Amino acid sequence: MPSNTFLIAKREYLERVRTKAFVITTLLIPMLMGGGILFSVLKSKNSKSASHIAVISQDTDLALDLQNELEHGKDSEMRVDVISPPSPETRSAVVAQTVDKQIDGFLWIDTSATAPKTIYTSVNHADISTKDTISGAMRRVMMRQGLKHHGLGAGDIKTMMEPVEVETDTIKNGEISKSDTMTAFLGAYVLFFLMYMAVMLHGMNVARSIIEEKTSRVFEVMLATVKPQEMMMGKLFGVGAVGLTQIGIWVAAAILLSSQVIVSAVGAGAIQIHFSFPQIVAFIGYFILGFLLYSGIAAAIGAMVNSEQELQQFNLVIAMPLAVCMFVLGPVISNPSSTFSRVMSLIPTCTPLLMYLRISISNVAWYDIVASIVLMLLTIWVVMWFTARIYRVGILMYGKRPTLPEILRWLKYS
Amino acid sequence: MAIVQLQHVRKAYDTKVAVDDLSFSIEPGSMFGLLGPNGSGKTSSIRMMIGITVPDSGTVELFGQPFDRKNLQRVGYLPEERGLYKKMKVIDQLIFLGQLHGLDIATATKRAHVWCERMEITEAIPKKTEELSKGMQQKIQFIATLLHEPDLIIMDEPFSGLDPVNSTLLMDTLLDLRKQGRTILFSTHRMDQVEKLCDAICLISRGKIVLSGGMREIKSSYPRNRVQITFEGDSTFLRNPGIEEYKLYNSSAEIKLRDESAAQQILAQAITGAQVTRFEVMEPTLEEIFIEEVGAGGKVDA
Repeated sequence: MPSNTFLIAKREYLERVRTKAFVITTLLIPMLMGGGILFSVLKSKNSKSASHIAVISQDTDLALDLQNELEHGKDSEMRVDVISPPSPETRSAVVAQTVDKQIDGFLWIDTSATAPKTIYTSVNHADISTKDTISGAMRRVMMRQGLKHHGLGAGDIKTMMEPVEVETDTIKNGEISKSDTMTAFLGAYVLFFLMYMAVMLHGMNVARSIIEEKTSRVFEVMLATVKPQEMMMGKLFGVGAVGLTQIGIWVAAAILLSSQVIVSAVGAGAIQIHFSFPQIVAFIGYFILGFLLYSGIAAAIGAMVNSEQELQQFNLVIAMPLAVCMFVLGPVISNPSSTFSRVMSLIPTCTPLLMYLRISISNVAWYDIVASIVLMLLTIWVVMWFTARIYRVGILMYGKRPTLPEILRWLKYS
Repeated sequence: MAIVQLQHVRKAYDTKVAVDDLSFSIEPGSMFGLLGPNGSGKTSSIRMMIGITVPDSGTVELFGQPFDRKNLQRVGYLPEERGLYKKMKVIDQLIFLGQLHGLDIATATKRAHVWCERMEITEAIPKKTEELSKGMQQKIQFIATLLHEPDLIIMDEPFSGLDPVNSTLLMDTLLDLRKQGRTILFSTHRMDQVEKLCDAICLISRGKIVLSGGMREIKSSYPRNRVQITFEGDSTFLRNPGIEEYKLYNSSAEIKLRDESAAQQILAQAITGAQVTRFEVMEPTLEEIFIEEVGAGGKVDA
């Protein structure tokens, strides 16, 4: 005879997997995320500055060199008009052109002083990329001019100015292998967001499912034979299994999509995303831990409130800790082994996301991983203890939402 | 052996005492009515019988044994707040609830079909609960309570919200079940049904027992001082000094006597001025007893 917990989990699982919402979230979340990342990568690759500007300088040599740099440089494809030397009317002419939008702006280089003074005037306040491009180009031009003044030949200057490519290797299990930081980073990034969505979505689903049973008053019927703990565990397992199914589908799809054939067919060969086996194991493991923690909290909230609307007010309780992980995402990615990253990744509410992230982009010491798992299990145990107590009383309370002292009193009921 | 035995049960929620010193027992094969006004502690008592809550003090025994969860498989419970999974198909729902009560899938399926036929709702079987009318949902709920053939059936306000047709269907089913030897407890505040159906009752008010025992004993403990008379013509006989109070309707009156012996004298007086088609001397109805007892208790408490 199957146990009650199993029966409840099975019902929950089957009912959820059959819903349209499941199909939609399963398909849509990775599509949106993959699409978004692909878009931003491709976009940033092609985002050379393409403004049309005028360069005004007494020094024709300098102006022409700058024009060349801006039109054919490493990251710019600008159109540059050179006005050299300027006549007294030039300034009013370029101002008029800028106002008429014939050009995006003009660059006035004043070489009368020893260090040339450069002013870029445009109608946009915040065209950071153009400004950066100009300043980079300007520095290279100045350096080239300087080197020329010191008597170096054009060939020597060219070699000196070549950009330097840095290759990255990583040591894993004592072996040095070539690594593609971009690839590793993207893989981790995608899974970080999938983890975020999965924990959030399924945690809230637990709360929603409890509220549904509360509003439809199914609880009393169930409680005639089933213990509240069995109901709660059944629900967590059921919804958790739905989450794992969804993740399973995502991982399978990711492996399929990252296979060479499809990637090159899409024309994104340079940004292929690669998932390693330990990465997937860590992902599933930390999802389970994260799900149990957050759904435990969500179950307590679900038992306390009476409607979906009331649940919305408590969304923050779940969203905030996850949002914290987003805020520290930058520092952790840029320095995954720093003390800050280690401490953050050991905070149980952040562990599933951050420890997972660290594991996928760096080599995390085994004792860090063990510590994170132990801490999470302890926290889950404590959360479950509270939740079970709140749940037992809360599910039979209809009407008014309990106050904090009332909830504390619930903990004492046995 | 009593099927249900409560002894000195007390349950308080914070400062509110829901049930206080409640004791009664239910004999096997009987139909027991748990009566009381709204908020008197009926649902609280029932919840303790099936282990949803635990009494603060006192004992609850089911089937002659101290409370044990495994005995709950022999109990069918219909809560006052009906609830089904809205999105679930009726048949899946019945099977699921049947499984929770220890049935295997095949048995649960078979019985679900038999019951749906008996309740005349076979067309609902493949539908989702939310597509059904309220009356149909009630029937489904009712079937879910009985699917595992419980020895003890507990129904909290089973007749509330039922139309007369379904009410009668439910009543007939309950009588059938009693004939099969099942024990039935239901709570209600509809006295006419209790009077028709119950072998024994327990009337509680504000968590305390006001009245308890076999239906016949309770009724016979009251004097036969009620008269129902249907007549046409002069109603001056109602001023007879033997009448404590009366209610006069179109062509009938309900009379409460000061003394049982006054009845014959009143009848004699009545036929002199009116044509009497019906004259009945009887005990007070359960409804009157209910109002009297609960009302009196209320005055004392307030």
